[in-house]
Amino acid sequence: MRQTIDHTLTPKLQLRLYLLTGLVLVPHVQHLPLVVSFFLFTTLGLRFISLRLPKLQPGRLLLFLLTAAGVVLIYNEHQTLMGKDAGVSLLSIMLVLKTLEVRRRRDLYVTIFIAYFVIVTQFLFDNSFLLLIYLLALLVGHTSLLLEINRVSPSRNFFEPYRQTFWITLQALPIAIILFILFPRLGHPLWHFGHDGSAQTGLSERVEPGTISQLIQSSAVAFRVTFKHEPPPPEQRYWRGLVLWDTDGVSWYTDKNNPVPFLSSSIMPTGKPVEYEVLLEPHRKTWLYALDLPAVAPSKSKLSSDFLLHLREPVTRPKQYDGLSFTRHLTSPPTEALRQRALRLGEGITERQRNLVSTWRAASSSDKDMVERALQHFYEREFVYTLNPPRYLKNPVDQFLFEGREGFCEHYATAFTQLMRLAGIPSRMVIGYQGGEHNDLGDYYTIRQYDAHAWSEVWLEGEGWKRVDPTAAVAPERVRSAIQPNFGSVGEPALFRIDSDSLIGSGLRQISMLLDNSSLRWRRWVLGFGQEEQYGLMRGLGLGFLPTGQWGFLLIGLVGLVLALIGVRLVLQGRVKQEQVQVLYQVFCRRMAAIGHPRHAHEGPLDYSVRVCRERPDLANPVRLITKLYIRLRYGEHKTKNNQAAFADQVRRFHPGRS
Amino acid sequence: MSSLLIPNWLYRFRRQARTDGRGGVVIRPRSLYILPTRQGILLALVLFLMLAGSINYGSNLAYLVTFLLGGIWLSAILHTWRNLLGLMIHPAQVSPVYAGQEARFSLSVTNPSSLRRFGISLRQKKLLGESADLAGEESCLLHLPIPTVHRGRLPLPEVSLHTVYPLGLFHAWSYARLDISCLVYPRPAEAGEPPSDSCYTSSEDGDRGVGADDFVGLRTYREGDSPRHIDWKAFARERGLMSKQFGGDRTERVELDWDLLPAVDTETRLSLLCRFILQAESQAISYGLHLPDLTIAPGMGERHKQRCLAALATFGE
Repeated sequence: MRQTIDHTLTPKLQLRLYLLTGLVLVPHVQHLPLVVSFFLFTTLGLRFISLRLPKLQPGRLLLFLLTAAGVVLIYNEHQTLMGKDAGVSLLSIMLVLKTLEVRRRRDLYVTIFIAYFVIVTQFLFDNSFLLLIYLLALLVGHTSLLLEINRVSPSRNFFEPYRQTFWITLQALPIAIILFILFPRLGHPLWHFGHDGSAQTGLSERVEPGTISQLIQSSAVAFRVTFKHEPPPPEQRYWRGLVLWDTDGVSWYTDKNNPVPFLSSSIMPTGKPVEYEVLLEPHRKTWLYALDLPAVAPSKSKLSSDFLLHLREPVTRPKQYDGLSFTRHLTSPPTEALRQRALRLGEGITERQRNLVSTWRAASSSDKDMVERALQHFYEREFVYTLNPPRYLKNPVDQFLFEGREGFCEHYATAFTQLMRLAGIPSRMVIGYQGGEHNDLGDYYTIRQYDAHAWSEVWLEGEGWKRVDPTAAVAPERVRSAIQPNFGSVGEPALFRIDSDSLIGSGLRQISMLLDNSSLRWRRWVLGFGQEEQYGLMRGLGLGFLPTGQWGFLLIGLVGLVLALIGVRLVLQGRVKQEQVQVLYQVFCRRMAAIGHPRHAHEGPLDYSVRVCRERPDLANPVRLITKLYIRLRYGEHKTKNNQAAFADQVRRFHPGRS
Repeated sequence: MSSLLIPNWLYRFRRQARTDGRGGVVIRPRSLYILPTRQGILLALVLFLMLAGSINYGSNLAYLVTFLLGGIWLSAILHTWRNLLGLMIHPAQVSPVYAGQEARFSLSVTNPSSLRRFGISLRQKKLLGESADLAGEESCLLHLPIPTVHRGRLPLPEVSLHTVYPLGLFHAWSYARLDISCLVYPRPAEAGEPPSDSCYTSSEDGDRGVGADDFVGLRTYREGDSPRHIDWKAFARERGLMSKQFGGDRTERVELDWDLLPAVDTETRLSLLCRFILQAESQAISYGLHLPDLTIAPGMGERHKQRCLAALATFGE
């Protein structure tokens, strides 16, 4: 089929474009304001209707009004047109408005390019593997439209353009991987557009009764840990996140204006080191989690003197780091300032608290004894460990200690720390995670939000800072197995996860482990791929000597190599495959041409032979024979091996001389 | 689908598709040109924006998809280039036209490989020809209309074969010179009658032709036929309007002589002669042609007309 170029688009092609546009926008619905989503899909709906009823196709005025309405809408929702959220809203609205004015081919290009951009923006919100697959399929779908408009006749087979686009995309994949690996990564953004506003589940800088019991409703992964050697027993797997030094009597925090100085002296280990690798989920905070207590800081982080790992930038993509900790250790005494800080009390100290502490003090010989007594108090007075503690509104610590006696780990930790300070023992509150589930397939531990925990650390003369977990005194199971989130009535004792031994239970556990394992790899190698992984990979490939500035040459060289390989493949694919018979006949024609008798374009083999025989009667015999055999082999029925061999033989022996 | 235009002075450095020694040309790698289209440049800009976004928000999947599109952009160069590679163009045919009409050149484009080619179009500078998709080992005729101004032989100017397939991001083309020319007859003059000197001479073989003496037969009515010659009986039998034909002792014959024309310039004389030839042909008058260097004996019919017109077209060559 041939025709002169037509620049209009068929309704069928337009329909495909608008369907794809709708599909691209679907995942954004959860990030965009509701009004914007409504605007998007109403406009797209109008587009679909006007495809059937062209009268409803909006004119210039309506289009202008819609554009203005869209911009006002975005400004109204986001108070800006810049930044991630407003930018994505703007781009999505541009996309649907562009579909309204698609008439010609070049409109289709612009629409598809905006759709590509919208596809990329999805990854600023969600990084799941399934989303990637979904959006890659849409990318192929959009690209196939380009293939479709650049051919003359529409493809007859529905899948044909998709198949061709799929191959082109597949060829582009090695280039994408090379660029992905070698393209330099910045550790910080180019421009700040202010707060991004996406909340992340996880521990925060401030803890008050109820903070952690809310967090443990979530089974989101906090981080994953692979131990290089023997893993420590569960009762030693305390992952420290933050130390909270200051309190107002209700909530605990660390005053930002009074940061803890960085570590000057190292710890004195008294046991074997534990080496491990952590893959931290982005929590948008500036600290890392480490096993109690870290001895070295991973790169780009710093150890403060309360043994926390601090970063300069918040963690916004999966971060991998190596840890080295000692579970048995001696720490040097705190400075006087820190010691005073660890004794400062908040408001709400009551007489009955003072009485309780003084009775303990009278009965105990040392600080260590005091700690024992406090823990015993929690155990003997039948405190209940519950996910749904009553709400203590006036003075949470006091009400919990003397009235409710029902609480979650943060109640125990805050009450205990406050009592210790009251007794003159320097103490501080620690939040982090405890425990973790072993993944049998990958041999690593997954620590989820429901493993969040709070405990205390007290300073004991001669022993340094010691971890004390008052929760363990009430519910020793807590440190051995995870909490089972339940929504029972207030004060109901917490249930613990017990792994089911039934066939279905273990089967499901296997599947979830498999999923978690692939998720680890996905996060470790794709989402978490950063500067350090780049260096690591280069070293692993034996290219560690190459300075970063020269990666560009390597990148260009490798991309060039891939392109060359694709080019060679394409050229080989397009090569004309000739049969041996034709090749031999061309040899014959070339030899004739060399002696001044070329074959003309219009001449068939027979005409040619007749003319040659007339012009060179001396060559008549071999020329007639060769032509006869050629016609037989090419067009006739006698394609026997004998004939082929005779033909080849004749041509090879044919060396005519000039007359 | 417009591409960057090449300044005229650069034209002489261009490479042509190589001739295959049999009148056609083959598009070889070195005769292929490729440049990004406007859309290709636009996508490159969009890709840079995407990259800036990926860097700013540090999203690895955004990087990955941006790089994938970058890879597609790059490999589109090769696919577009390959889409044209190896194609062969042969001159096919062109019919003579009168000056001022469009010469419709037909070129045969052959795909010798088994790979399908899409969106192949033929152009001559800004003149667009036809486009086609070619299946493996298929040939296709593409027409290219070229306007004519002067009579004579119009050789096909340098043409080019284009494609933007698969993605429209790149534009590949190759120039080709083909040995085919169109015969352009003079434009028929709009008015003028043969000079009276080119008189009707009597025919030696008598009574064929147009006269008024003997009834020869019937023919369909033509405008200008006398109503007295209409066969009304045939009309009443619903056989349509027929004119009665009468043969005389003379055949109408006209000698179209260059020298008898008023002394105007060559082109006007040729235009007049062209008009007379067409007139005589339509009136079924036998005509001969006398040019200063050529004489064509009287005759009639399509071949005779073409011979005379060709003589006019090539007059003075």
